[in-house]
Amino acid sequence: MRAKLDSVLEAVNQVLLGKEQQVRLALTCLLAEGHLLIEDLPGMGKTTLSHTLAKVLGLSFQRIQFTSDLLPGDILGTSVFDKDTGQFVFHPGPIFAELVLADEINRATPKSQSALLEAMEEGQVTIEGATRPLPQPFFVIATQNPVSQGGTFALPESQLDRFMMRLSLGYPGKAAEKALLLGDSRRSLLPHLPAVLNHSELARVQAEIPKVRASDALVDYVLRLVDATRTQPQFAWGLSPRASLALLAAARAWAFLAGRDYVIPEDVQAVLPAVVGHRLRERADPAGHGGGSLVQWLLREVPAL
Amino acid sequence: MSQASAIPRISLTWLLVAQVLVIIPHLSHLPLWVIGLWLGSAAWRVQIFRMRARYPNAWAKGGLMLAAALGVFLSRGSLIGLDAGVVLLVAAFVLKLLEMRTRRDALVLVFLGFFVVVTAYLFDDSMLMAFYSLLPVTALLAALIGLQQSNLATQPWPTVRLAGGMMLQALPVMLLLFVFFPRMGPLWSLPVPNDKATSGLSDSMTPADIADLSRSAALAFRASFNGETPPRSELYWRALTFDRFDGRRWSQSDYAEFAPAAQWQKQGEPVSYSIVMQPSSQRWLFALDVAETTLEQTRQMSDFRLQRRQPVDRSLIYQATSWPQALRETQPSTESLRRALQLPEQGEPRSRAWAEQLKRDYPQPEQLVQAMLSHFNQQPFAYTLRPPALGQNNIDDFLFETRSGFCAHYAGAMTYVLRAAGIPARVVAGYQGGEYNPAGNYVQVRQFDAHAWVEYWQSGRGWVSVDPTFQVAPERIESGLEDALSGEQTFLEDSPFSPLRYRNLSWLNELRLAWDNINYGWQRWVLGYQSQQQLEFLQRWLGRVDAQTLVMGLVGGGGLLLGLLALWLFKPWQRERDPQQRVFQRFERLLARHGVTRQPGEGPRDYAARAALQLPAQAQAIQAFALAFEAQRYAGQATSVAELHLCLRALRLSLPWRLTRLES
Repeated sequence: MRAKLDSVLEAVNQVLLGKEQQVRLALTCLLAEGHLLIEDLPGMGKTTLSHTLAKVLGLSFQRIQFTSDLLPGDILGTSVFDKDTGQFVFHPGPIFAELVLADEINRATPKSQSALLEAMEEGQVTIEGATRPLPQPFFVIATQNPVSQGGTFALPESQLDRFMMRLSLGYPGKAAEKALLLGDSRRSLLPHLPAVLNHSELARVQAEIPKVRASDALVDYVLRLVDATRTQPQFAWGLSPRASLALLAAARAWAFLAGRDYVIPEDVQAVLPAVVGHRLRERADPAGHGGGSLVQWLLREVPAL
Repeated sequence: MSQASAIPRISLTWLLVAQVLVIIPHLSHLPLWVIGLWLGSAAWRVQIFRMRARYPNAWAKGGLMLAAALGVFLSRGSLIGLDAGVVLLVAAFVLKLLEMRTRRDALVLVFLGFFVVVTAYLFDDSMLMAFYSLLPVTALLAALIGLQQSNLATQPWPTVRLAGGMMLQALPVMLLLFVFFPRMGPLWSLPVPNDKATSGLSDSMTPADIADLSRSAALAFRASFNGETPPRSELYWRALTFDRFDGRRWSQSDYAEFAPAAQWQKQGEPVSYSIVMQPSSQRWLFALDVAETTLEQTRQMSDFRLQRRQPVDRSLIYQATSWPQALRETQPSTESLRRALQLPEQGEPRSRAWAEQLKRDYPQPEQLVQAMLSHFNQQPFAYTLRPPALGQNNIDDFLFETRSGFCAHYAGAMTYVLRAAGIPARVVAGYQGGEYNPAGNYVQVRQFDAHAWVEYWQSGRGWVSVDPTFQVAPERIESGLEDALSGEQTFLEDSPFSPLRYRNLSWLNELRLAWDNINYGWQRWVLGYQSQQQLEFLQRWLGRVDAQTLVMGLVGGGGLLLGLLALWLFKPWQRERDPQQRVFQRFERLLARHGVTRQPGEGPRDYAARAALQLPAQAQAIQAFALAFEAQRYAGQATSVAELHLCLRALRLSLPWRLTRLES
């Protein structure tokens, strides 16, 4: 099973060059049944990553381009009158896919955003009184452009909290970019990618992950981290229990990916920036992006033992 | 010279100050050239600090050292011995300045300084000296603290305040140790410095010796009585007896040293008292007749004096009980009587004739003695410290020509005549009287209280003491030498500023007596607190203790104190309870000593990886430990901590041994 996971990583890394760490985190997030927020400039491979993951994991893929005129119905789907049957027939929206890429999520109005976010949280959607379950598994990868903020609706903290991780891909390394320039178009590789995992295998992996052992000592470390965000003065607010659950789940998945059946503090530290970075704000600058330095502080100062 | 080991400015300042303070008490006995050497060295060192001069090279240092040694040899006649040793030590203490480059050298200088402070007590152990020595010790402590301070500190006062605070904190410990620390005998005997060889009675007597003594106001001893202090006229402090006369000089025969103790009978009321004696470099002690003492290694000799096995070369405190009316040697050995009759073969014809005549007139020794005493009393004999010169037959000249002299003349002459008349007699030397200090209720006896009197033997009564001086100058006995000499201004004529000369100024006199009282307390309770007094004191409070239990108690108490201190410092109740964690902390400490310190947020695996990179030779052992730790702590493997200990041990063995932290 682990060999398969390794080949998943390998396959994704063939498409997305030089981003091993981010790919591994993204896979971790998916294995831990969390949703992923990718924050980066346009053209950094956000879509490619999502698409590749979907392909390699054998998931159906839908992309929703968020714009300011996007309506909830455009996401969830609408009932259309079928004159043959004389009934309203539900036409499912793009959200009824196993992996949904919500591109430039902050361009849509809060109303549309919340339609997606509710679906993310509940795993089902309620349209016109009828509750419809979303497919299993169900992942959302949302992207944001941090730079051009004109006419955008930034996700509020409560919404951010629903994403297990926030990643930033960043520029590729020189060697990776050279390979990128010399090689085939990445997109052209996609159709030829085989699905490494099928649904049942993915479900088995996901079922394995909660069994990864988190010892008392390790949970104490997680608690120390969470407690530090709640008691130290530089934090505008502390981490929610959802965040601590996400942290532990991500650490478990990370450990599982590393081939271990137990979590060590280094696992927690590896996922910590991605898991809590978007949930923390500096007290001095509650609206800003101070999460990164706060995470570094946590990594440095909170006793790992 | 690396910057790290340079001597900070403050330390240098305090070292120089401390050196001044350390050397001041020695000034009185240091040769002048040492003082010159000192000032020169200090100036040179200051110039070095100001970068106006350089350190002397090896040749210059060697030359200075040899010159100093030669100087000591020339001025003291030797390089060993206490006096020369101290001069040499001070010279070394001064010269060390010139090669004081690093902190290590400064440390040597500081410790040398502490030693020089102690040597000052060999010359003066008074209370003032003891309190004074707190000053140099504080300055030395400040220098020691300054050595640990940054070169950037410029204010000398905080340093000395800290040193003073530390002195104060040490005070209770010092007092405890003073009271409880067992007094051990010296491992080797220390010769007394030359200028401390005190004046005092010696084992032979010419009248001139006593006249010399009477010029000295130095203290001989102090005595405090349990109960009423007897009147002055009864205070005849026996030191020793002279039973041999060579026509000029009275001395002690060797026989007295070896003869068995004489027999005597206690009679009348005893008087008990304690005496704090100044060092005399002699073996005899002072006591009223006839005394017993509890002092160790002391016995009563055949002439009823108390004698110690070793000379008294530092102040001595002892208890004695005397029976003034005791009967002494009613059945004497013929040998001791024979010796009490010894006279030169010839000489002093007039005295011998007078003795013959007295013997004819008064067949009873008692009557004869009485007749002699009334002769002294009625004839124009005078008491003076400036007697006219005496000729060859000095006793004849004194008795029949000059008729003026002091106690030694009278006692010598009377003994001579008694012996010539066939009555066994000897001269007793000691002190008479003493000044009563009402503040402290004790008697202080000074060298000018030295006195000589006579004792003769009479069958049935044993030895009987008589004092011919009393017949001539009763005021000498009743109120002291000063009154006896009031007519001739010879009292302490060599020391015009002695406060003893101004006894008629009552405030000055009271001040002097009060000061003396304080010094007596110092002598008695501090200097006199030696092993015997310590045991007695502690027994009074703690019941029966001996030296062994004292040592054990001290060690136990000290251990307990240190234990409490350690508890307070290490706080074991805050110690990590988790055994795994504890082993890991030991692992951390071990690696930290080798320069790999764990950051708080560093997990065990990262830390081990980093350590393995830094210590590649031990990488395997480090990883093995980290893996074992991880398995136990995070993977929930139920193996015992002992396995971790094994891994740690393997790692420790693979690392070179280090006690201190490596600079990383």
